[in-house]
Amino acid sequence: MAVVLSEKEKKWMEGVIKEEQITRYLENGRDFIDDEEIWEKLRKNQNPDKQRIREIIQKSLEIEILEPDETAALLNVKDPELWQEIFDAAAKIKKKVYDSRIVTFAPLYCSNLCVNNCVYCGFRRENTVIKRRRLTLEEVRREAEVLAGEIGHKRLIAVYGEHPTTDAKYIADTIRTIYEVKVKTKNGYGQIRRVNVNAAPMSIEELEMLRDVGIGTYQVFQETYHHETYKKLHPEGTIKSHYQWRLYCHHRALEAGVDDVALGVLFGLYDWRFEVMGLLYHARNLEKFFGIGPHTISFPRLEPAANTPFAQESKYKVSDEDFKKLIAVIRLSVPYTGMILTAREPAHLRDEILSMGIVTQTDASTKIGIGAYSDRYTEQEAERQQFLLGDTRSLDELIRERAKMGYITSFCTAGYRCGRTGKHIMTLLKTGREAVFCKLNAVLTFREWLDDFASEETKIAGEQVIQKEIEEIKERVPAEVFSKLMEYYRRIQNGERDLYF
Amino acid sequence: MEKETSTSKKLLIEEFTRLSDLIKSKYGVSLWLVEIMGKRHSYVAGYKEESFLPPQVIYLNERFAIVSNNWDKIPEKEKKKLINHLKKFSGT
Repeated sequence: MAVVLSEKEKKWMEGVIKEEQITRYLENGRDFIDDEEIWEKLRKNQNPDKQRIREIIQKSLEIEILEPDETAALLNVKDPELWQEIFDAAAKIKKKVYDSRIVTFAPLYCSNLCVNNCVYCGFRRENTVIKRRRLTLEEVRREAEVLAGEIGHKRLIAVYGEHPTTDAKYIADTIRTIYEVKVKTKNGYGQIRRVNVNAAPMSIEELEMLRDVGIGTYQVFQETYHHETYKKLHPEGTIKSHYQWRLYCHHRALEAGVDDVALGVLFGLYDWRFEVMGLLYHARNLEKFFGIGPHTISFPRLEPAANTPFAQESKYKVSDEDFKKLIAVIRLSVPYTGMILTAREPAHLRDEILSMGIVTQTDASTKIGIGAYSDRYTEQEAERQQFLLGDTRSLDELIRERAKMGYITSFCTAGYRCGRTGKHIMTLLKTGREAVFCKLNAVLTFREWLDDFASEETKIAGEQVIQKEIEEIKERVPAEVFSKLMEYYRRIQNGERDLYF
Repeated sequence: MEKETSTSKKLLIEEFTRLSDLIKSKYGVSLWLVEIMGKRHSYVAGYKEESFLPPQVIYLNERFAIVSNNWDKIPEKEKKKLINHLKKFSGT
């Protein structure tokens, strides 16, 4: 059934895209994704020599972004033993850049109203089975109170559809509202310290509004880099049908002074090897223009959604085996970037991938229905979600399981509050120095969470991990740094919060 | 490709760069300048961190601050001089 746009919506849509904020980045009138060139590189690098792959691995281990031909060669590896070498190197890189911690966050869906009509998306305009809702600022506050005060999250990604009622002003208001929340907890207080945003592409002026209220990372997924597929899946006449408006939104964000940007692809829309190449080209182009690459890369796979047959029918769906390969190749191709594995994936696969030691961030206690945290509904409801989740475990459960695997969960949000952003963070990441800050702040924020939110069982598992981390830190950092860590640690045990390196 | 920087910000960056060079050569301490946007303190200019001690944020005004993780190694008199001088360039 066709859903007709209102006059107000149509008028608003006409003013969204600013062509001059696209053309300024084009080179010879073209964007940086040349579909033919990508396919040519994938063809040219078939059957790569073992020695060459090992040289590429070595380059990644030195935390250097790869050339497209090098990534294409990795994507063409067939030998299982060589794949194992790639997986092992991916884990080493992650450890070198970020240490062993895994940062945890939660999504907060603020609205599912959308003027677009993407064929794979549960929130598409013409999907009439979806219950539409936009949270008021009071409802946003209630959601944040549950997340910060009951579950213990410190970092959110706020998610918005593209609609005149959820424009940049609304997004800025919601960010402000979330940051204002402060909730008493068992031994201290809970607060959201970093609000990342997943929203539609915006103009430089709108992004400046988000910058001014202290946005964390601005995340936009290209969905697919393949021009023709993009055109097919994003119907003409919608804002999202403009490939280049979307492709250059991170450029605009960086120009607006939002110097942490995040890329992603929805795997399953087109050939996964092509999409990995697209992500690499994107990262390289950002580096070329701004000297800053992506803060994170996400790699969600297409999941079932209410009344959305495309999600089941796509011929490009990615198998679990290929999924693990693409994650490892992204890690090697853009070695400094953060990598996000979300609760879209089933629990068993998330555990397996986490144990490979490649990814840096995951979500937990995840709810993606609008108002779902404060409504406290426990079952998934397809008609108010964009898609169905694969892993609905609680944060407490997930932290306990990770702790048993030897991993510390971090709630660190220090970097963007002391200038470790943009070019500065890039240098720290590439030199491996950021890993030390990650390790120190993981211990402090994990201590906070254990004291405020952990169940008894989780606390027991958590204490063992935290002691192991402290021992490792003692060996690794100068005495004055260790002594400062222990001073902060004790102060946190005594109820102080938000102390960081 | 960054957006054109305002003249006053440019002057602040120039002056900060000159003084942070001086501090680095005299005391071996890294300072970096950040622009404040809500909770976000975005890197603008200066040296990278040379130690793993906690960052100290020294506010020049509502919009700019300097950060260091070895701030205590700079003599008090020099710190005051530095802050007062940079405040003049940061619009307060």
